[in-house]
Parts: sequence; C-alpha cells; structure tokens
Amino acid sequence: MTRLHVKYAVLTLAIFLPLLWAFLSVRNVYPFAAWNVMMASGALERGRSYWMLRGETVSGESVDIRPLELTNALYSRTWTMVNATVANQSFKLANLHPANAELLRQAGGIEQLPPGARLPDLLHAWGDLYNERQPASSPQRLKAIRLDMYRWEGGSYANYDKFIQSWREEL
Amino acid sequence: MARVVVHGTFLVSVLITSFAALGRLPVTIMRPTGAMKFLPWSFYDQLVTPRGMTLLKVAMVVSLLLSTTGLFTFFSSKTSFLLVLFYQGLVRSFGHFNHDEMLGVYCLAVLAFTPCADEFSLDQRLRKKRSDRPAFAYAYPILLMQLLMAWTYFSSVLIKLRTAGLSYFSADNLPSLAIYHSLDNLHDTSFRLAFWLPQVRAYLPFAVGLVLLWEFIFPLAVFFPKVRWWILGAGIAFHLSTLFFMNIFFPHQLALYLLFVNWDKLRAQSVTHEHMTNTVTFVDEGRG
Repeated sequence: MTRLHVKYAVLTLAIFLPLLWAFLSVRNVYPFAAWNVMMASGALERGRSYWMLRGETVSGESVDIRPLELTNALYSRTWTMVNATVANQSFKLANLHPANAELLRQAGGIEQLPPGARLPDLLHAWGDLYNERQPASSPQRLKAIRLDMYRWEGGSYANYDKFIQSWREEL
Repeated sequence: MARVVVHGTFLVSVLITSFAALGRLPVTIMRPTGAMKFLPWSFYDQLVTPRGMTLLKVAMVVSLLLSTTGLFTFFSSKTSFLLVLFYQGLVRSFGHFNHDEMLGVYCLAVLAFTPCADEFSLDQRLRKKRSDRPAFAYAYPILLMQLLMAWTYFSSVLIKLRTAGLSYFSADNLPSLAIYHSLDNLHDTSFRLAFWLPQVRAYLPFAVGLVLLWEFIFPLAVFFPKVRWWILGAGIAFHLSTLFFMNIFFPHQLALYLLFVNWDKLRAQSVTHEHMTNTVTFVDEGRG
C-alpha cells in the first residue's frame, strides 16, 4: 500500500466517520450534517404559524417586503431566523451574548421576556436597508416596518390566514 | 475540472451575495451552531458589521478566484475551504442548518487535500512540466465527491423512513408541507402551485414513493454510467419541483451534478472532432 493510498484512506474516514455519526444520531453539529431535510411528515391536523414582512410608506401605502432582497446572504434561511427570533431562541443558549444576558437579567427571566424581544432590532435593520435603496424624496420610503404573524390552524385546506399579532417598528 | 466546478460555484455564490447587508443584522439574534460556538461573542461583534463582512467577502473572493483558476493552488484550495467553512457556519448561526451548501463544503475539503491543479490550472501552465502521479491520484477524489453526493440522498431517505415511517406516505404529507412553505413572504420565491396539490392528494403518496425510490437508488449513478443521466435528470426535475411547489431550492447541490461529467472523455472527444474537422478541411483544400 502506497503513501497515497494511506492518505486517501485517512481523508475518506475523516469525512465519512463524522457523517455516519450524524446520520445515526440524526443530529446536525456543524460542520457535520445529517440529511434530515423534510424528515417529519406533514400532518394536516397540525397548526402552523407564519409571518409576513410589510412596510408602511410615507405615502400611506402598505407594501409587502421580501427579506431576500435586503439580506440575500440568508437565502433559504430567513423564515427560520424569524421563527427563532420570535421564540427568543437566542436567549436560550448556554453562552449568551452579553447584551442578551443583560436584557434577560432586567426582565427577570426567560418567562418574563415578551415574544420577539430582539425583533425591533431586526426590523430596524431591514427597514434601514430598504430605505437606503430608495431616493431621499421617494414616496416609497418607509415610515414604519412591521412583521405580521398569522396562523393556519390546520385540519382542512382552508382558512390559512388567521391574524395573530404584529410587531411594528417606526423608522 | 472538478476544482473549477466546486470552487467556481462558491465564487459565483459569494460574488452575488451582499455581505455588507448581512453585517447590518443584530448579532444578538445569532445562535452559533456546532463548531461556531467555540468563537467568542466579542469576535462576532467585530465581524458582523458592514466593514467586517466586506473584508470577509474580499478575502473569500481573492481566495476563491485563485483556487478556481488554479493559481497557488496548494495554499488557495486550503484557504478557500477554511473561509467557506467559516462563512457557512456564520450564516447557519442566523438561520437553520440548511443542507444545500454542505456537499460543496465537503468537496472543498476533498480538493484541499488532494492534487487538483495538475491540469486546467494556471499553476500547471506556469510549471510547464506534467505531473507523473498515477491516474488513481485524480480519479479517487472525484469518486469520493460523487459518493458524498450519493450519501446526501441515500442517507436522507433512510432518515425519513426511520423517523416518520409509513406516515411519510400519507396523502396529506406533501400538500401540508408544501402549503406551509408557500404561505409567508420570507421564503426566496412565492410560487403558489402548492395550493393545487390537495386536488390531486390521492396520487401524491405515489409521487412521494417515487422520490424516495430515486433517493434510494441514487448511488447507482456513481457506479453505472448507463443509468447515471436518468438518475441525474430525475434529480434536476426533483429540485425544480421543490422550487415550484415548496419554494425551496438547492442551487449549490444542483451545480455539483457537474461532478458526474467525465471531462477527460469530453475533452478527448472534442479534440478528436477538431482533429477530424481539420483533416477534412486539409484534404478538401488539397483537392481544391
């Protein structure tokens, strides 16, 4: 067996052994992936929440905003980022960001924290990015940006848009 | 050529991505994933800014440009792998563990530690000396990358059947998943074909079964060239259908289908064709 064979054997094992572990434990531990995409079957009975990002222009219109056009680095990930932000997932880490630790201390615990405690920061960032792409005098500039939460209760292929709540941020 | 496919895919992807915009997002919504947890928050505070992210983009473009063209490849293939590995971890720390780019990351790892610039590279042109490595040195890394792609599909079907069992064949599985992914405006596209699926729900378990069967037999594409293009063709149809029905797309994975093209054979055929054309022209001119 040549040195090349040994090198390639080591490379193969170094890549496939962690992938095999991820597969057996069905866990994604970056950079090792278990291909568990769509692994849970979709049950019609299960209700699901979803969100719409909208802006209120200076001319009084309400416009749909696609976050992909603002932060395209997060393609295929925006909806889970919003989902996690609404659920305050960044406050449930073992090692908190110091600013989150401070906010949690002020609130008196995770239960006291309102849903989407960091949503205003995210909405502000998106609102500013949107406005920077509009001319200063444009009536399409936003005066506010909001995230509307809806729920599809499930059970039937109807009634998809039960309004739940909104987070609004003045710009 | 595999190097150009893999590194080139990430180069294009990085070039069309606004890193500065990503740097505007609040660090406080991040949830570092896996190995990204080892980096301190102060590092993310410095990096996730428009300036920090622009610097990262410049470094990635330079490195990927060098590795794609095959210049200083011994180093640039490794820096490209490390930079992409880090960046993919960073974006996963904002959202979920999206699998699209992961195969590409593993292919970068393979190319970083195997000879990939002895042909079709600036290094080779500058060296002007052919390598005397055996064919195995180049063939095995390509086989490894193809096996990795086969693993993505094959392991996926086993995980689905292990976790969901036969309920995966429920008539409501596909329509309810597809409709859920078509309701918001946070997905990358807004196709509404999913709302048509309940009308044909009785047929959908068969469609799901066909997809699972295709994932299960994908490894055949590695070993049997005769069925390869049928399996890859079905893969293209599958990924396009997830785009139109679920607003979910895997462009990086799809681009890496090019790893199944036998570039040496293609080049040999092209050279033979060129040679024959030149000969015919020469003979014709001689007759004239």
